[in-house]
Amino acid sequence: MKAKKLFTLILAVLMIALSVVSVSAGTLTESNPDGQTEVKAHIGGTTPEPGDVTYIISIPDVVDFGELHQVSENRDVSYKVKLEEVNNLDTDKQQINVYVKDQYATVEGDQEFYIANKADAAKKFSYSVYDVPAAEIDDDKTSLSQNTMTQAAGYYLTGFTTQGEELNGNLRFDQTQLMGYNLAEIVGDYSGYMIFFSIIEDQ
Amino acid sequence: MKKKTDHNKNNTKKTIMIIAAAVLLLAAVVMLTLFLSGAFQKGQTDDKKEDHKGVVGVISDDWDPGVEEPTDSQQRGGTKIPGYSSAEMNAGDKSLVIRIGNPKDNKVGFFASLVLSDGTVLYESGLLKPGQGLDEVPLNQTLEKGTYDAKVVYQCVLLDGENTPLNAAESGFKLYVN
Repeated sequence: MKAKKLFTLILAVLMIALSVVSVSAGTLTESNPDGQTEVKAHIGGTTPEPGDVTYIISIPDVVDFGELHQVSENRDVSYKVKLEEVNNLDTDKQQINVYVKDQYATVEGDQEFYIANKADAAKKFSYSVYDVPAAEIDDDKTSLSQNTMTQAAGYYLTGFTTQGEELNGNLRFDQTQLMGYNLAEIVGDYSGYMIFFSIIEDQ
Repeated sequence: MKKKTDHNKNNTKKTIMIIAAAVLLLAAVVMLTLFLSGAFQKGQTDDKKEDHKGVVGVISDDWDPGVEEPTDSQQRGGTKIPGYSSAEMNAGDKSLVIRIGNPKDNKVGFFASLVLSDGTVLYESGLLKPGQGLDEVPLNQTLEKGTYDAKVVYQCVLLDGENTPLNAAESGFKLYVN
C-alpha cells in the first residue's frame, strides 16, 4: 500500500514537472517570437508568388540643397527615380506608378514640401518638386505642389513599365523667400523628407 | 495500543518526508528548466543583439529579394526599395509570407513596417542593415476574410549609430485574406 502511494506521488510529481518543461519549451523569445524558424526557399526566375518581391525601384535617399543664401536665385538639385528590376509585370495592362509627397503632407491639410530647422521645426521653408530636369522648367511648367494632392499616396510622379526606365526630376529652392528674415534668426541646419509611394496599377 | 500509535506516528513522518522530498524535487526540476531555458535563449540572442534589438521575426543576414539585383557597374546611386504585387494568407493566420528586407547593395539602413490603409500596423521591424531581411513576418493581429490595401513602409536611415532619418518609401499591394 505504501509503495503504491509512493509510486502515485512520484508519478504525479513527474507529470507536473513534464508539463512545466513543455510550457517552457514553447516560450517565445525575441529572436523567435512566433516559434517559426523556417526560412522559406525561393526559386528565382519564375512567376512571383504572393509575398514575393515583384520589382525594385531606386529613390534618392537624401537631397541636399547645400548652403543657402539670401539672394534672388533658385537653388536646383536633381534627383532620380528608377525601375531597377521587374519580374513578370503584364506591361500591356499594368504599370508601376510612383507618387511622392512631403512627410507631413495630407490630402486635407498642408500639401507643400518643406525643409525645417533641425533645432526649431517652426522655422521652415518650402521647395518645389518637378518631374522634369531643371533645363526643362520654363514659365509654363508647374511644380507638383501647384496641383492639388487628391490621394494619400501623394502627387503622381511617373509610371514605369520597362526595366531601366528612370525619371530625372528637379527640386528647386527659391532663395528669395529668405530675404525677408533677419539672418541671425534663421541660420542653422535644415532638413525635410520625402515619401515615395509605389504600386502596381492598371494603365 | 502504544505500539499502534508509534506506528501511526512513523507513517505520518514518512508521509511528510515523502511530500517534502517531492516538493524539493519539483522545485529543483522547475529551477533547472528555467535556468537551461534562460541560458539557451541568451545564447541564441547575444550574437546579434546589437543589430536586431527589438526585432521580431526571423531575420536572415543573406536576405535575397528574389529578383536579380543590378551589379555594381549598373548602379547609379539611390536606395533600392522592394515592391510587391500581392500577398496572401488565411483568416486567423498569425504570420504572413512576404519578403521584407534591405537589398545588399544599399548603403543605408531600413526600419520596415507592414501597415493597412486604415493605419493598422501589423508588423514593425528593428534596424535592417543591407542584406538583412525576412521571408515571413509575425502579425500583431489576425485578419478576417477579405481584400485589404496594404503597404510596406521602408523608413531609410543613415548607418551612423544614431539612425538619422532619410527619405522614406512605401510599397503598396493587395493583401488577400482567404
